[in-house]
Amino acid sequence: MTGREHARNLAVLGLLALILIVLPHSLNVYLRSFAMFAMMYVVLALSWNIISGFTGYTSFGHVAFYGIGSYVCAILVVDHDWPWVPTLAVAAVVAGLIALTIGYPVLRLKGPYFAIAMLGMAEGTRVIVTVWDGLTHGGLGISFPSTENSMSTYYAMLVVMLVTIAVAYGVGHSRFGIRLNAIREDEGAAEALGINVTTYKLAAFALSAAFPAAAGGIQAYKVLYIDPSSVFFVQITIAMALMSMLGGKGTVVGPIVGAALLYTAQELTWVNFPTAHLIAYGLFIVLVARFMPRGLMGFAIDRGWVRKGMVH
Amino acid sequence: MIRRATLAMVVVVLACLPLGVGAAQAADEVVFGGAISQTGRFAEPAGRQVNAIKLWADDVNKRGGLLGRKIKLLLLDDKSDTQTAVKLYEKLITEDKVNVLLAPYSSAITEAVANVNERYKMPFVAYGAAASPIWEKGRKYIFSMVAVAEDYQKGALQLAKKTGIKKIAIIGEDSLFPRQVGVGAKQWADKLGIQVVLQENYPQKQMDFTALLQKIKASGAEAILSDSYFADAVAQLRQLRELNLNFKMFSGTVGPGLPNFAEQLGSTAEYVLGFSQWEPLPDVLKYPGMKEFIAAYRQRFGEEPNYHAGTAYGSLQVTEAAIKNAGSFDGQKLRDALASLDMMTVFGHYKVNAAGMNQHEGLTFQILKGKRRIVWPESVAENTAELPMPEWSKR
Amino acid sequence: MAHRVEAVGGEPPGTSPAATAAAPRRLGRGGMERGEVRSLYLLAAFLVCAYALPFVIGIHYRTVRADEAWLHYLATVVLSGFLQGGVYAMFAVGLTMIFGVMRIINAAHGEMVMMGAYLTWVSFFYLGVDPLLSLLFTLPIAFLFGMALQKLLLNATVGQPELTGLLVTFGLGLVMIYVAELIFTTDFRTIPYAPRTVQLTSTIAIGQNKLVSFAMAVVISVGVWLFLKLTRLGKAIRATALNAEVAMVCGINIRRIYLITTGLAAALAVAGGALVSIQFGFNPETGAVYTLQAFAIVILGGRGHYVGALIGSFMLGILESLVSLMVPNGTAMVELAAYGLLIAVLLIRPGGLMGVKEA
Repeated sequence: MTGREHARNLAVLGLLALILIVLPHSLNVYLRSFAMFAMMYVVLALSWNIISGFTGYTSFGHVAFYGIGSYVCAILVVDHDWPWVPTLAVAAVVAGLIALTIGYPVLRLKGPYFAIAMLGMAEGTRVIVTVWDGLTHGGLGISFPSTENSMSTYYAMLVVMLVTIAVAYGVGHSRFGIRLNAIREDEGAAEALGINVTTYKLAAFALSAAFPAAAGGIQAYKVLYIDPSSVFFVQITIAMALMSMLGGKGTVVGPIVGAALLYTAQELTWVNFPTAHLIAYGLFIVLVARFMPRGLMGFAIDRGWVRKGMVH
Repeated sequence: MIRRATLAMVVVVLACLPLGVGAAQAADEVVFGGAISQTGRFAEPAGRQVNAIKLWADDVNKRGGLLGRKIKLLLLDDKSDTQTAVKLYEKLITEDKVNVLLAPYSSAITEAVANVNERYKMPFVAYGAAASPIWEKGRKYIFSMVAVAEDYQKGALQLAKKTGIKKIAIIGEDSLFPRQVGVGAKQWADKLGIQVVLQENYPQKQMDFTALLQKIKASGAEAILSDSYFADAVAQLRQLRELNLNFKMFSGTVGPGLPNFAEQLGSTAEYVLGFSQWEPLPDVLKYPGMKEFIAAYRQRFGEEPNYHAGTAYGSLQVTEAAIKNAGSFDGQKLRDALASLDMMTVFGHYKVNAAGMNQHEGLTFQILKGKRRIVWPESVAENTAELPMPEWSKR
Repeated sequence: MAHRVEAVGGEPPGTSPAATAAAPRRLGRGGMERGEVRSLYLLAAFLVCAYALPFVIGIHYRTVRADEAWLHYLATVVLSGFLQGGVYAMFAVGLTMIFGVMRIINAAHGEMVMMGAYLTWVSFFYLGVDPLLSLLFTLPIAFLFGMALQKLLLNATVGQPELTGLLVTFGLGLVMIYVAELIFTTDFRTIPYAPRTVQLTSTIAIGQNKLVSFAMAVVISVGVWLFLKLTRLGKAIRATALNAEVAMVCGINIRRIYLITTGLAAALAVAGGALVSIQFGFNPETGAVYTLQAFAIVILGGRGHYVGALIGSFMLGILESLVSLMVPNGTAMVELAAYGLLIAVLLIRPGGLMGVKEA
């Protein structure tokens, strides 16, 4: 990608940021909250994409990091009186460390086995959080003291999203990203070429864990209540995967577009058709996975709107 | 070709973007909005409350509405999930702009939602919550109606003491209400000198209690206090019978009070104790308007109202009176009216203390010949309790 | 690469060009490489520890007592776990076949079980048919459903990366849950069938419905095992699971095998659902737990290995009972038994008990 194209992308991002900075003042609390959640899903989808799209290791339990982040924030704010912003950094670091620890054994597994292991891990984390109620209040969940925070959480999420986009873009357009792609395409060959496959996988995995954790922390603070079944909800992982796939796995723009579109569509359908909404969602997943596995970006590439062979 | 169709579907869904506007509101209407579990594990009890809410709204509208405006209900489904409920209330308040809030069902959900309505200064009477911690946080916009969770097993424990039971097991679902019942049960047991040999919480949606029930038997407990909702209590009793495990007493909380309980279990439900905030017995309880309410409910819904229905109806009577006293739907004024009101409803007496808590006493009943019979407190008991329960093989 | 000799049903594969091209490796028992044997021993050691752990914890927390009465409780609980294993087998063998033959992770398997429970319930309450007899028509319906599923959705998913299959089946599962919710609401249902208790010894009693379920599960499992081992079609399925390309070369119609496999798996899941419906309460959302347990069993037993799945089912059932009885807060920890097993097996020996090391 040329310098000019990079500059153009930066400009687009800057414009987007500007719009989003000004936007919340003209929205009511509900819409502000809606925008915040849409941004959150962008963060989740992009992060998932780093390990699953770029590196090819389909993580089917990524919600675990989101949940861990939510709980770190909640425990620190409610039980230890921390101000909430620093807890986000702690959440990201904790999640990254956990990712490194479990990643070391688990990333040795191939394809479907990695996916199942991650699913088991996410569910296992949920059970541990539920049972360890000395630390996490178990099934009772953690309830924050009530505060007005729709603006502050919006901006926090905006910051996290911009950082995530920047990181994903940076990864995608760097040697690091190319090597991750190499691992995805043929790990054995990559290793033969001298790429330290383990280090790169672990790095990607840790990166992909940190941002969902921060997002989880912000979300916990926004809703002011979390419990194990809502923050370790398997459908959140599905959403991450689906949004990335819908937009185009392995690209940068893909997950952003996929997340924004799908979340908006979902919220609208839910508001207007509460019962039919879930059936429609299920059908949508089936159709997209079956017929559009390369997503919208794949479609755009086929049509020649976007140049092939680049990570956009 | 299907790829195009899928793409088209994506585009169409997006085109529905403009549809995301809230419903319009007529000027002579007042909207009462809330999220109550219409699906999920709270659907059985919450459904009874929804029935009562609808009945009440129609009654008021028949009498000319409230402050001259017709009541319109906006009831959303929180799927028995707390985070969903919180998001729904935020939407109801800021987007749909309802005039008055209706409470959700379950202590856990009410606790989380209480943060929201407190922030927006819109009060409600919490007919679906019984756990005292909700009122120990200095909140000003939430009012209780029912007897507290901690007292749910008080009557059962008194009866246990009378029957000579010395060791009990307390089990419950792992969520706010059952836990609080357990806390209170332990306190009462200690006061009465009954030993709690096992106290364990099980995950929500747990259905297989085989090992847990064996564990209880192994611990030497003579009676079981099950702080449960509906499906879990049913499963426990059924499995007790299958495993031929005999206990002197089984006391549930919410489950036995629901009409389907005795229906689904048949003879397995006999002798089970349960707690009720209220029973449709006008001659025993003698609260004003009970007969009319029970008749109207029975006619519309084909069954006797149980305590969930009674609680909701009573709470809405209170809300109605408070609105009339305040002369407006304004949150602050309504709040002050609710705090100072002193009245009788079909449910009983309403008068809250400084923390917003009502002082209501519940009833312990036993299922005898398929019907709920009040057995405690003695002042209103219809029957004496038949304890200890006969063994399964002897029924 | 040398393949382990034992496969589905336990017969040696035909001449596989891949096998003969292997360079000579150090061989241990039964033609396995040293590394494989080692990982198998490691797995076995882990399993022994896993079973001992509840006892150790129980002794530490004093939930275990050494007297005779307690031993009777233990026996009842273990028996119950064993019987439960029979029901798990119904879920697991279907999943292992789909995974083995097509490498697809069927995330909707639990929902198929749930569908079976509802089908049985409907035939019981609306048609008045005995739950076990209703299998006579629910199983063919399930078989057709499975075939339709394969033809419409899964055929295109075979050979794609695992995410596609996961998402497609997950989406399908969601649709099934919510359609069931629309039709039946989320109320828990159960079938009051054979509720009496059976006194096996003076102190061990078991519900009659559990025994009936188990007997049915045994009949079905053995029947399918015989089918796989003895009939041509069964052998064709096993061959496809071992190596689809070679099977094709041998003249097996792969597409037909896929159809039959999914049909069979769906039928087994529905049978499992029928057996669940007479024992426990169920609602549209209870399927999800079964899916995960089935995964754990499939991994433990080995991808595509029928007998492995059977063994794994009983092992999980018993382990869950032990955890539930002896670990404090055991009822909540039971799920960890499945996830713990799952992850540990994947880390020690992804091929499971009966598979090759790397699967």
